[in-house]
Amino acid sequence: MSTYVSNPDEAKEYQSRYKLFYIAIGFALTVFTMRLWYLQIISGNELREFSEKNRIKQNKITAPRGLMLDRDGKVLVENLPGFEAILSPQYIESLDELAKAVGPVLSMEPEKVILKVQKSRRQNGPFAQIRLKENLSREEVFRLKRMRLDTPGLEIRESIVRFYPLHDNGAQLFGYVGEISKRQLPILNEQYKGALKFDQGDIIGKSGLEETLEKDIRGSDGVSFIQVDAHGREAVTQTPNIYGEEIKDMIPVHGNNAILTIDRDIQEVAFKSFMSLNRIGAVVAMRANGEILAWVSTPSFDPNEFSTGISAQTWSKLINDPFKPLRNKVIQDHNAPGSTFKPLVAVPALQEKVITPTTIVSAPGVFYFGRRPYHDHLKGGHGNITVFEALERSSNVFFYKMGIALGVDKMFDYISLLGIGQKTGIELAREVSGTMPNSAWKKATVGEEWQPGENLSTAIGQGFVTVTPLSMAVAYNAIGTEGKVVKPFLLRKIIDQDGKVLRENFPQVVRDLQQTQSNGVHISPDTFKTVKEGLRRVANGDRGTAKHWKVPGVQMAGKTGTAQVMGFSADQIYAKCESRPIHMRHHGWFVAFAPADNPEITIAALAEHSCHGGSGAAPIVRDIIQAYFTKYHPEVIEAALKAKGGKRAQAPVIAPEVEGE
Amino acid sequence: MLTSLHVEERTLFKKLDINLIIVILALNVIGLINLWSATHGPTTQDVASLFISQIMWLVVGWTVFLVVTIVDYSIVMRIATIAYVLNLGAILYVTFFGKVALGAQRWIDLGFFRYQPSETMKLALIMVMAKILSTRTTFGRGMGLKELALPLIALLIPFVLVVEQPDLGTAMMLAAIGGSMMIFAKIRKSILATIIALGIIALPIAWQFVLHDYQKNRVLTFLSPTSDPRGTGYNSIQSKIAVGSGRFFGKGFMKGTQSQLEFLPERHTDFIYSVLSEEHGFVGSIAVIGLFCFLFITGIRIASNARDKFGALLAVGVLCYIFWHMFVNIGMVIGLLPIVGVPLPLLSYGGSSMLTTMAGLGLISSVAYRRYLF
Repeated sequence: MSTYVSNPDEAKEYQSRYKLFYIAIGFALTVFTMRLWYLQIISGNELREFSEKNRIKQNKITAPRGLMLDRDGKVLVENLPGFEAILSPQYIESLDELAKAVGPVLSMEPEKVILKVQKSRRQNGPFAQIRLKENLSREEVFRLKRMRLDTPGLEIRESIVRFYPLHDNGAQLFGYVGEISKRQLPILNEQYKGALKFDQGDIIGKSGLEETLEKDIRGSDGVSFIQVDAHGREAVTQTPNIYGEEIKDMIPVHGNNAILTIDRDIQEVAFKSFMSLNRIGAVVAMRANGEILAWVSTPSFDPNEFSTGISAQTWSKLINDPFKPLRNKVIQDHNAPGSTFKPLVAVPALQEKVITPTTIVSAPGVFYFGRRPYHDHLKGGHGNITVFEALERSSNVFFYKMGIALGVDKMFDYISLLGIGQKTGIELAREVSGTMPNSAWKKATVGEEWQPGENLSTAIGQGFVTVTPLSMAVAYNAIGTEGKVVKPFLLRKIIDQDGKVLRENFPQVVRDLQQTQSNGVHISPDTFKTVKEGLRRVANGDRGTAKHWKVPGVQMAGKTGTAQVMGFSADQIYAKCESRPIHMRHHGWFVAFAPADNPEITIAALAEHSCHGGSGAAPIVRDIIQAYFTKYHPEVIEAALKAKGGKRAQAPVIAPEVEGE
Repeated sequence: MLTSLHVEERTLFKKLDINLIIVILALNVIGLINLWSATHGPTTQDVASLFISQIMWLVVGWTVFLVVTIVDYSIVMRIATIAYVLNLGAILYVTFFGKVALGAQRWIDLGFFRYQPSETMKLALIMVMAKILSTRTTFGRGMGLKELALPLIALLIPFVLVVEQPDLGTAMMLAAIGGSMMIFAKIRKSILATIIALGIIALPIAWQFVLHDYQKNRVLTFLSPTSDPRGTGYNSIQSKIAVGSGRFFGKGFMKGTQSQLEFLPERHTDFIYSVLSEEHGFVGSIAVIGLFCFLFITGIRIASNARDKFGALLAVGVLCYIFWHMFVNIGMVIGLLPIVGVPLPLLSYGGSSMLTTMAGLGLISSVAYRRYLF
């Protein structure tokens, strides 16, 4: 029925040209297929990941840190809900207007707001959120909430604020938290490799237990994923999970709680005692097994100011304070122990049989070694005395003689075993060891031979000897327990939120000195008993240097001491201390344990620039011991009070200074 | 009576090229499905109405297709010159009085429709070229300079006018279509070689004096897209991410995050193919290219069976039009060519493109329809 058009031959002329078309089509098909194969099959997974990154925004949900509780479960460090002002730079329409609106509400200069945003944009990109201000007041929250609708990019977010209910009490012990610094970030990530992962903006423990318990009390942060469109707006899809079900929010996990050995009641008594005496210094109270009960270092600071973003002004005040409030003086300051060193010298003197408990030694007011006079604090001297009286009255000349007889190396052999000149190993960073010298040490560090005269100054705790309060507590505790050198510790348990114990610390005896040690030294119970009796008399004897600070019903044993601050000659040490400018006054020491015969608690107190150990440091120790026995052995205190006819023995607040320490 | 009616219906049905119609319908359906997705994201409801207007353009397009099919294309030969001249006039008019969109395309607002004369110019050029070239009896060595003069002038006038608009994409399309038709009609090898050489020499000159900065940027960005990922390279990168992230089977209908969440720019027009690639993967992408290939092969068969040279050239011209649009658009979307504002025929949203394409396909259909004698 149908035939071709009149002259199909004419159109047939082109027949040979159609191959051009096939070539072009074939070319396009090949090139496109290869390219699509490359993009969708070879690079498909990578590009799929890119498209996921495009649309999914991660919001970090900070996990609360674990609490710190005292041995009775009382709160020492906790978290409080707070509010912070956050900016999401990608949504800001006009930075100038925002800064002008928000600045005054937050009492920030608008220029500062602009600078902060610009800096963050430069450093962290346009999508990183900026923490404008933390810990907003109620008023600020209220005012910001009202302006939020007109200010795109501004958010008020709930946050967690670390709270220290004891405020400046124990600030150096508990530490403080703050935002991780750029410099710290790689260091900490290396240090906690595999255990913790830190990101910019994270809040971390910066000092104290907050720092050393980071791994235990840090929770794991959660993440919430939100889907955003190309303009950064949250895009809610009508059908949930349409874009992939594999993305699930990660709920933050609360950090584990730390139960400390600290007793909040005793901690508060210790701090109150320090404050009421207006003392600078440190005190540490330790149970005989090494559990730390109280730990105070003053002057102090309020760590709550750090949690909420410390002002530059406050910070510079803290670091420029000559009395170093940020320093943990219990372990970071080492001072000459002064006369508190004498009982430690008495140990080798007795053990090496330089003296026996009954040996009578002449202790005049001045002692010539070579041609140089070495003075006692008492011009007339102490007469002929035994080691008991030497300790009770703190005779210098008695111990000069012990120093000469023993020599520094013998003293070193014993006293370093008691823990002097060594780190105690407490769970805190930046502990210093102090120094217990010997002749080899002097040669190595000073480069000179040991001078015989230095035996004398060493024997009364001056010269090269330096100690931390904590190491003194350990040494006295070893004397009190007749040989048990313990490792002091602060952390009893780490428990999770259900109360399950994850980690537990047990008391640890580092060495028992009644056993023969590696350097051949051992110390007999008799030696300890003799020294303990001397120390008992310090607090209880008629001429004891700490006799004014008794706790009714409890016998304590201890020793006062004075540490030279400036290099005065021996006879000037006690001259008109109170008349000097405060930074030049001597430090007062008192180290004690109680009960004297079988101690439960050992306390080392350093009262910086207080001139005297007795009046400066002993009252604090007394208050702590009283608080301890009132709490743990109320029957002892009550019985003593009853015996005195119900009248509570009142120790004088300002006691007459007993000569000689 | 009954029998004769039956015969006549069968005849009409038989005279239409069913393969052509089926493949166009298939691409229409895919285009609509894809456009639905591109216009119905969670935050893109404002463009949802575009889907309805695309359906309207499809109806208009098919009407034009059928009318053009049934009209004898010898009429087209007669009106070709007039259409060409009128179209040039329209281009001149918009160059001076038209409205500008996106810094380039110029149009006349007809109320219901933004008429872009440069778009219909493509068809007018095809008609005029077919008319001129079909009268050249050249076979053997191919066209010489004398034979080439007229078609070259016919091409250059609209080309220069469109470059001046300045709509480089459309101008390139005009050149590609006209050039392809001339090459198809056969040009002497020595002359072809000379033209290609001249073109290569002209390139740097054109770069220096003709191209606008934004056009240069597009080319530079294409050469190094990551140099400015948030600026000019953004479109190219996001499109590649969209295509690649579709992987083998795609993310599924309405589940393409790149397009749904607006990371893809111009997703319902120039970048419609990346929407398809993202949601339907390698399989879908190749299927669409396959459909286009089938369309071309059908078109070539029709052209080779045309009753005369004009018909063959007309069909070839329209095929060139569709081929080059497809090639440049997909090439751009998958990162093989710089970003040029060229729509994908039958899939991109847009009345001008849809009408021109359907009218052009109507011409092919008409050529098929007229190959039979009654």
